[in-house]
Amino acid sequence: MFETVIGLEVHVQLNTKTKLFCSCPTSFAEHQNSNTCPTCLALPGALPVVNKEAAIKAMRFANAIEAQIDEASRFDRKSYFYPDSPSAYQITQFYAPILRDGKVTIDLADGTQKTIRVTEAHLEADAGKNMHEGAVSKVDLNRAGTPLLEIVSAPDMRSADEAVAYLKKLHATVRYLDISDANMQEGSFRCDVNISIRPKGQEAFGTRVEVKNINSFRFVAQAIAYEVQRQTEAYEDGVYEQEVVQETRLFDVNKGVTRSMRGKEEAADYRYFPEPDLRPLIVTEEMKAAARELPELPDQKVARYTSEWKIKRDDALVIVADKNLANYFETLVAEGAAPKQAVTWLTSELTGRLNKLSKSIEESPVEATTLATLIKRIEEGVISGKGGKELLDHMMENNERDVDALIEKLGLEQVSDDGAILAMIDEILADNEDKVAEYKAGKEKLFGFFVGQVMKASKGSANPGKVNQLLKERLS
Amino acid sequence: MQIDSELLTKLETLSHLRVADDKKEEIMRQLTDILGYVENLNELDTEGLDPFFSMLEGGTPMREDVTHKEENVAREILAHAPMAEEDFFIVPAIIE
Repeated sequence: MFETVIGLEVHVQLNTKTKLFCSCPTSFAEHQNSNTCPTCLALPGALPVVNKEAAIKAMRFANAIEAQIDEASRFDRKSYFYPDSPSAYQITQFYAPILRDGKVTIDLADGTQKTIRVTEAHLEADAGKNMHEGAVSKVDLNRAGTPLLEIVSAPDMRSADEAVAYLKKLHATVRYLDISDANMQEGSFRCDVNISIRPKGQEAFGTRVEVKNINSFRFVAQAIAYEVQRQTEAYEDGVYEQEVVQETRLFDVNKGVTRSMRGKEEAADYRYFPEPDLRPLIVTEEMKAAARELPELPDQKVARYTSEWKIKRDDALVIVADKNLANYFETLVAEGAAPKQAVTWLTSELTGRLNKLSKSIEESPVEATTLATLIKRIEEGVISGKGGKELLDHMMENNERDVDALIEKLGLEQVSDDGAILAMIDEILADNEDKVAEYKAGKEKLFGFFVGQVMKASKGSANPGKVNQLLKERLS
Repeated sequence: MQIDSELLTKLETLSHLRVADDKKEEIMRQLTDILGYVENLNELDTEGLDPFFSMLEGGTPMREDVTHKEENVAREILAHAPMAEEDFFIVPAIIE
């Protein structure tokens, strides 16, 4: 039996307005090379000046994961030639990163928790983009110089599930901190996965393979599954030494396999050395104070939802994993919906309908304030749960948002008026004298039949609670 | 330190430069001389000294996160690039 050992390096693009070392905007999808200047194009003589906000965002992350902030971190040059980096080096933090020794707690499927250590996180400049077209490559340097926080975990994860749980927790944390958009499609949250296997009980790590640049949780799980299988088979076939070498591989999303980048990597020698154009990044009291201002983080939200609002932990975890879902949920409760009802209506009814339309919560056609009113009308007995679903269906497709007017228009109002319900009950009992006699003789199962008949007579509009109560009175 | 042909080949790969065969001997000798000269520094006793020791004091200056854009600068740089098209820099195809 083998044990899988996984460590992750996550590149989080910080959502500052300007780049790490110059004042160019970081806006996405702009005209090619329009967000560039002599500094990010590495023209001779242009010098880097550190963006204070990028440093504060990194420090805020440090505080969120209880890491140590280096009050005098340093920058270094990582040498490499590639057209996406006009300077032929990347400015990063190799020797003295801005933070060390943090921790991220993940929730596992069996209800237990596990702490994953974050070894360090360093500030660095992103590269530009190349597009390959036949005999030439086109280079767009708008992204060159955008601030990245590279978050390096210890090799603490033992399965793809743990790796994905860690990534999701990190993703939620940076989104709540508002230090990154963490948009995986746009590449502002991407990760490298280090994977090795070792026989159970062996202390020494196996040979580590790095799978680079994966931009979805699903692909991370697939890449890990593939690597574990490849490495295990090589071990069992006695060719581990030959087949599993320390190398960089790429994940082919179409075929679900990883491929060696060997050859390209052989010459890699980054020759790190201290960046001569930058002095140490000395954090000031003002920066420390700004970095201490933290919003409510995922763990705190889960604790509050479960203790204050008595919500199941599993439900709280689902809601909190997505900042927009949590915002929506909190609005529902703030607008007066009972928390437990709000969970059901949000996570199953609304989310189910949105999934069918391939829409995310922030694209929901029904706003939280509207859904809150709907939930309240159910609690007040004005409409039934079934009526609520019908009303939600209607609103998903139409623009009218006056809940009370719609209840009337769609005829969803429940009859709770005793007189009207009693009239129906009496009619039904009169029409079914034989069954009433059977019931009174002890055939209690017939009670359900009477309820059904009354509901049918009211075309579903009678309040079932009332019907039950009044029927019992009449039949006793 | 002696620069031999193996090390020179590695340096060529790392720097993406190619040294003509008839120049190799000369370049190896010159590089060896340069390193020999730099080795004079080893006479200094640096025991116990911070590797990042500098004569400069204080930290790096920082800027506020405020955008600044000069429309013509990027265009002008593109105009001086060896090859540019539709505001892209054009380079020989990169074989992936």
